[in-house]
Amino acid sequence: MVRKISLTVNGYRKTVEVKDNELLIDVLRDKLKIKGVKAACWRGECGLCTVLLNGEPVKSCLVLAVEVDGSEIVTVEGLSRDGELTPIQKAFIEHGALQCGFCTPAFVLASHQLLLENPNPTEEEIKEKLSGILCRCGTYYEIIEAIKSASKFYQKK
Amino acid sequence: MSFGSPYFTLPDFTYHKPKTLREALELLEKYGDEAKILAGGVGLIAFMKERLVSPSHVIDIKGIPELKKLEYRKGEGLVIGATVTFSELESYQVIREKYRALYQAVKLASDSIIRNRATLVGNICEAIPWVDGPPPLIAYGAEVEIKSLDKVRRVPVAEFIKGPVEIDLEPGEIVTSIHIPDVPSGARSGFVKFNVGSEFALVNLAAYLSLNEEKKDVRLVYGAISPKPVRALEAEKILSSEGDMRTLIISAAVKASEELEVISDVLASEDFRRHLIKILTMNLLTELVEGG
Repeated sequence: MVRKISLTVNGYRKTVEVKDNELLIDVLRDKLKIKGVKAACWRGECGLCTVLLNGEPVKSCLVLAVEVDGSEIVTVEGLSRDGELTPIQKAFIEHGALQCGFCTPAFVLASHQLLLENPNPTEEEIKEKLSGILCRCGTYYEIIEAIKSASKFYQKK
Repeated sequence: MSFGSPYFTLPDFTYHKPKTLREALELLEKYGDEAKILAGGVGLIAFMKERLVSPSHVIDIKGIPELKKLEYRKGEGLVIGATVTFSELESYQVIREKYRALYQAVKLASDSIIRNRATLVGNICEAIPWVDGPPPLIAYGAEVEIKSLDKVRRVPVAEFIKGPVEIDLEPGEIVTSIHIPDVPSGARSGFVKFNVGSEFALVNLAAYLSLNEEKKDVRLVYGAISPKPVRALEAEKILSSEGDMRTLIISAAVKASEELEVISDVLASEDFRRHLIKILTMNLLTELVEGG
């Protein structure tokens, strides 16, 4: 069955036609052309398709598009404001917290949300919150350093 | 069950989002075993991709208010509704304080992003032998509440899970909640698991100890070692007997590693699992008896 759903994506209201069996990841990437949502394992293991659904990180390969009717979605494209990167994005650049960069959108998004909720996380808390995202280059050390250094900007807010 | 090459698409189905439990039950009655319940989706959607299940109707129960219930009442215990996620359980203060085994199992289950969607009821309904939800529930003596259009029944979690991917649920029925009895003050519980490289346990263990003078109540529940979680009844007896607690713990751990039927599979041999049972039992019980 085809139906219309409306959702807010990165602040914009969108109405899309979707089939009942379509996944959120496909609607975001193929219909709304939001390519910061990466597709890799398709079964909820790698976490690269993570988006914020009503402020909560979820893996969009395990969510039906019809389920998010009326919801608010934020992807990595929705973080910067007026062309200015968020502190966590700058920290990732400063710390070289990426190699191939394929996992970076998911890590940036999840760490941004982590710092909004907990502006002063311990290393254990960072590891636990991000354990659902895999970096095959193994840049975890730099990612954790980047998050620690960005945390001061979130405390000021 | 094979987790071979995944399909990228889902089979065709019609999506339903009922607003009341009655509406959901009517849909279930109408479509019978053609229908599957969708809560968090981390199990169902993955299984549909693998074509392990291909329902023609998917019934999303997240719009039903009464299934969101998460409530503790002194003397009665804890009620966990069918759409309550692991993350919600993790941040519920009562669970952290009173139901330590459940709290620790919730924290060790999968990863924190999956836990934002995954539900505890979904976890036990999948009845996969190596997941972390069932052992603590069985240790607390929890029951599931099952409703259909014409009746309500309650089944202990230990009996509800019949084997791998096999549960005591008829077409037309839905698990609405889990009921966990209140734990007496002084009772202690805990959960440990051993896993390598993946979140799936090779052995997991929930222990519940209530060592009052008059009545000793001990439960040791092991998961991932057999088709369904099992209690080590002989080891429990040892712990309930009189004697030096440290000696009893060692005897119980050895007994548990010998008395149970243990599988051997690609993840671990029977011998290794028996070794893990002994070590995990010893560590967890020591921690429970000596700590705090």
